[in-house]
This record gives sequence, C-alpha cells and structure tokens, in this order.
Amino acid sequence: MSLLVRIHQWLSFLGNFTSLGLAYILQTIFILIFVGISFVALIYIFRKYMARIQRRVGPNRVGKFGLLQLIADLFKLLGKESIMPERRDDMAYKLAPIIVIIATMLAFMLLPFGNLAYFGSLAVTHSKVTLILMFGILSILPIGEILGGISTKSNYALLGTMRAVAKDISFEIPMMISVLAIVIVSSRSYVTGGAITGGLSLSGIVANEIIPYGIIEPLGLLIFFISMVARASYSPFDLGESDSELISGYTTEYSGMRFGLFYVGLFGMVYLSSFLISILYLGGSNGPFDHYVGFIYLFIKTDILVLISFLIWVTLPRIRIDKFVNLGWKYLLPLSMINLVYAGLFVLYIR
Amino acid sequence: MSHWIELNVGPVHPSTHGIYRFRVKLNEETVEDVDITIGYLHRNAEKICELSYFVNNIIYFDRMDYIDAMNMELAYLRAVETLMDMEVPERAQWIRMIMAELSRIAARMVGIGAVGLDLGMLTPFFHTFHEREKIQKIFTEASGGRQEVNYMSIGGVYQDFNEKIINEIREFISQFKGKLEEMVKMLLDSEIFWQRNEGIGILEPEVALDYGVTGPMLRASGIGYDIRKDSPYLFYDKVDFEVPVAKTKDNLGRFLVKVEELRQSIRIIEQCLAKLPDGPYFNPKAKKSAMLLLKGQGDVFTRVESESGEFGVFIRGDGGVKPYRVHARSPSFKNLAVVPEMTRGVLIADLIATIASVDAVAGEVDR
Repeated sequence: MSLLVRIHQWLSFLGNFTSLGLAYILQTIFILIFVGISFVALIYIFRKYMARIQRRVGPNRVGKFGLLQLIADLFKLLGKESIMPERRDDMAYKLAPIIVIIATMLAFMLLPFGNLAYFGSLAVTHSKVTLILMFGILSILPIGEILGGISTKSNYALLGTMRAVAKDISFEIPMMISVLAIVIVSSRSYVTGGAITGGLSLSGIVANEIIPYGIIEPLGLLIFFISMVARASYSPFDLGESDSELISGYTTEYSGMRFGLFYVGLFGMVYLSSFLISILYLGGSNGPFDHYVGFIYLFIKTDILVLISFLIWVTLPRIRIDKFVNLGWKYLLPLSMINLVYAGLFVLYIR
Repeated sequence: MSHWIELNVGPVHPSTHGIYRFRVKLNEETVEDVDITIGYLHRNAEKICELSYFVNNIIYFDRMDYIDAMNMELAYLRAVETLMDMEVPERAQWIRMIMAELSRIAARMVGIGAVGLDLGMLTPFFHTFHEREKIQKIFTEASGGRQEVNYMSIGGVYQDFNEKIINEIREFISQFKGKLEEMVKMLLDSEIFWQRNEGIGILEPEVALDYGVTGPMLRASGIGYDIRKDSPYLFYDKVDFEVPVAKTKDNLGRFLVKVEELRQSIRIIEQCLAKLPDGPYFNPKAKKSAMLLLKGQGDVFTRVESESGEFGVFIRGDGGVKPYRVHARSPSFKNLAVVPEMTRGVLIADLIATIASVDAVAGEVDR
C-alpha cells in the first residue's frame, strides 16, 4: 500500500475527491520537505568534503559542527539587496530563477522513491509516462538559463548563455538516445522473456530492473553519466558559468536570493541526475527486502553517485568549450547509436 | 564583414590577479585583439623614493612585487650598497640568498596555484597556499612581517638567523619536496590540464627578445637566460644549480619551467644552509644610529633574478642622504606587454590560461 493511498484513507471522512486532492498535496509537501532537508545536508556535506580535500576546515561556526551554516546562508541571501542591471528585460530577468527552481522541484515529484517500511511506496506520481514527463521537465531547465542570460544584456551573460546552450544541445541527444535504449531493454522481462508494459514510466522500469541495466549496457551508463554530468554543469563542466573566464556566466548579473535560486538549481540537478542514474542504470530501489527498505537502497546509491560527482567537481580543471562540444557530437553520439543497436539485439536475444 | 563584441576582462575580474584590464575584441569565442590597460595600482613608488632616505625606501620595493618581496629588497639594496661602496658580511649574504630563494618559492606557489584556479580547478590553490603559509611563518619569525617583510637592510639583514629559524627552514625543505611532487601531480595527471595548456599561447623566442621578456617566460621559449647564472650576485656562483629550459614555447612549458625552478631553489637553499658561516650579520658602518646618514653618489644599475624575471634597479645619487632618481625595470611589465602577441586568434578560455601562465603581478607592473 502506498503512502498516497494511506493518506487518502485517513482523510476519507472528507469525501473521495477532497481527500484524494489533499492527499496529493500533503504528500507533495512531505516529499518537498524530505528533498529540502537532504538538500541542505548535501550542500553541508559538499562543503565539508571540499574543505577536507583542500586542507581546510569548512563550516564550523554556526551551530554544532557548522550544521546551521546553510540556514544562516539562506537568511543572508534573503536579506541581501537585489541589485538589478538597468537595461534588463524585467519579466524574463525575474522569471528565469523561478523557472529553474520550479522545474527542479517538479522533477523530484516524478521519481519512484521506492518502499519504506510502514509507509509503503513513497512515489507521488503514479502516471504511466513519468519518463517522458521527466525529460520534458529537464528540457525546461535550460530555458531558465537562456532567459536569465539574455535578459540581463551583459556580454559575460551572453557568452555564458551561448556556451550553456551549445553544451545542452550537444549532450541532450546522446542522453535521450541512451534513455531510448533503456526503454527498449525494459520492454521485455528477462525473467520470463515475455513482453511487458510500463516501460515509459520510471517505476515500471525499476520494477523490471532486477539486474541493473548498468550491467547489461555499461556503454549506456557511461554515456548517460557523462551527459548528466554535462547537464548538471558543475565545476569542470560549468561552461555556462566558467567563473574564471566569464565571471559567473549567465548568473553574472544576479544577486541575493535570485542568485541563490540558481545555486539551489545547480545542486538540485546534481542530486536529480544522481537519482536518475541510480534509477535507470543501477537498479533503483531494488535489492533484498525492498518492500521494506527499498527507499534506503535508492538513497545510498544516489549518495554514492553524488559523492563521485563532488570528487569530479573539486579535482578536475575546466574543459574547453570546443573540446567539450566535440566530445558530445563526435564520440558520445555515435557511441549512443551503437548502444541503441546493442540494446535492440539484446532484447531479440533474450526472447 | 566581421561581427565582434568588446569584452572587458578586468579591472575587477576573477582571473586578472591584481588589477589590470584587458579589452578583448571577441568574434564569438575567438579573441581577435587584446588591448591592455595598466595603471590601476600605480602608487608613484619611484617618485616617493626620491623623497625619503635610502634606508626608508626598502618598504616601497617590498610593495612592488608584493608576493616576492625579498627579491625586490635585494635588488634595491644591491644598488644602494654598490652606490655607497658598502661591504656586506659573508653570513648576511648567505642569509639573503636563503631568504631570496624562499621568497621565490613562496611567489611560485601563488603562480602555480593561480594556474589551477584559472583553469577552473580550485583545489591546488589551497594546497599551494598552505605551503606558502609555512614560508610566511619563517618570514614572520625572522622579520615580523608576513608578506611585506622589510627584512634586509643596508649592509646586512635586520636580524640574525637563530636556531629556530634554521630548524624551521630545514623542516620546511624536507617536507616540501614531497608536497611539491604531490601538487604538481594533481595538475599534470589530468588529461584536461594538458589539453588546456599544450600548444596554447605560443611565444616565439624572437618575439620574446623583441619585447624584452625575461624570467620563466623566456626560458620556456628556449633561451636559458638567468641572471643568477649569467651575471652572478651574492654567492650564486658558489652553489650548484641548473637553469631549466623548455623548447615547447607554450603554457605547458612555462608551467614545467616554473616547477623545475622550484626544485632548483630547494637545492640552492640546502647548499646555503650547509655553507652558512658564523660572523656578523650586518656591516657596522650601517648600524642603526648611522643609517640615515648614509650618502651615495653616482649612477648604479643592478639586476637580480626575481620571480618573474630580470628585475633591475637604477639609482642616481647626488651625494645626499636621499637618492636623486630611482627607477625599477620591472619584468612583469614586459612580460604582460607580450600577451596580445601570444593570444591572437585563440579562444577566450585560452586567453585566461595564458594570462595565468604569464603570472604578472600588478604591483610591479604599475610600481
């Protein structure tokens, strides 16, 4: 029994429709709180981790072990004056960070979080096309970046936007083709060998993923990982931001909480991409006793991926834009085609 | 018809370490032309030097190449001492040499850290600064100042080396060797680092000579010119070291030359510590009560090898207690001037990498 149904039952005295609606709202809030808390923990861990690698101490002043540093930072950002460029396109300027943050939050609502003890399945959305929805939402994110960059009418922001768009386009296609390979592989059960439905929903894919797809198609895992690294655009691949070259790329003219929202969006993408990799390629919430602790499996897998991302973040120099776009078009695209053909052959063989 | 935008890299920009401004004419991402504006850190040091006593001017030289203060002082004091016919005791010369090399290491630590920083790699910067901090502790122990040390004075040094300082230097040297290899490995083991630096920012030796480029930039273009070897001062002719030369002419060559020079600096310090004699650490002619009365007459030009190249000081004395004219030949100024030649037609990211490898210090460029 899923958490949604449980809440629905508790609220059944309100009538069917009201209680269902309230249940959705309550669970959305529940997941948002969970994501928010793990988010704060994530940024805290990142700062500590980065500090250890760089022979520093990291946050240790606010609260015990500096645990409240992020809250303090949040209030600092909220209290800051928002300095806006004079020649901005006002609406686009203000809309851009909101698009980024809303799209990131929406994407978290679509994830199949797996089962947790008494609560049952934690997933909010039970749609049959969450995969399509997910990548639809992911393609909204760059719009926020583009609006933010163009609307400020700054040369740095313009160059940053150009780079961000070039990067997003060149990695979008290999990413989508490797997802297509996942859909093909998950269209057939390799326990019974029969065709199954539900391959377009993330929960359907996880349900069929008894052997992680990363083992079946490691090439796909590689392509998807690199593409998600590029999409999440953290430090060595943050070509839209390029802080040593373009000051801060498309976020140059943002300050205060609006800048904070872009920053949250960045960490959100790191987290989300780790979730997606562990769901699509590493078996998601599958594992022994996954009816009770599936959620914990997913969480551990995701956090390991996040730590790997952080390691990349702090140890690699920034790759140059032309080399990076070349990587997308010249290597990942043909490789993803090969992976697609391989996935088709694999499904034929399984039958 | 070509379309271009003008991008303002500086005066306030994360990767112009110090303050100077590059007006970059950009065609999409390609740099078409670079126009350098300097003078944001101009403090009129040469004119101020004419207004105060010889000994008081040391602090203005500290603030020229503020990350390599010891060598700046050394250059000025060599000129002043030549002007005054002042003998420097042997022990003081060895101490000066140790301090100059330590200062060179400290300055290189900033340079190498900044290379990583400008390539978008934050981690090496903290590691190099950690090492630099140890050198600054030694400086603090010896002189009381961390960065603007004011340690050397006319006819010797401000304070003698005691056992603690010597032990600290020994300790630093012994652990630094391993740390240096670790830090260099962090950069050189990365494929992206090679991609970003190999063949970028080519500086032909002829162009370098035309512009008067010196220091690691010239040595990375294949010309092994080092004042310490070619016109030895202090006791550089009595220690054994090599001048590294790279034939690659690019950013990578400059980086490797700097790293190899660090290893040579360690060798020099080790030999200096072994040879450090006993004796006075300053010339009694320049004792504190008599310092303001020191006079000089004539024209003097002396050079030292500073962190960024050939640093020369010209002093004209008119027989008074103040110099008539002081002029500094700053290597960073020349090194920075050649940047447009090196970066024509590269991408904006390569421009930043090249600026990092030039490693000009604004205080010395503007003086």
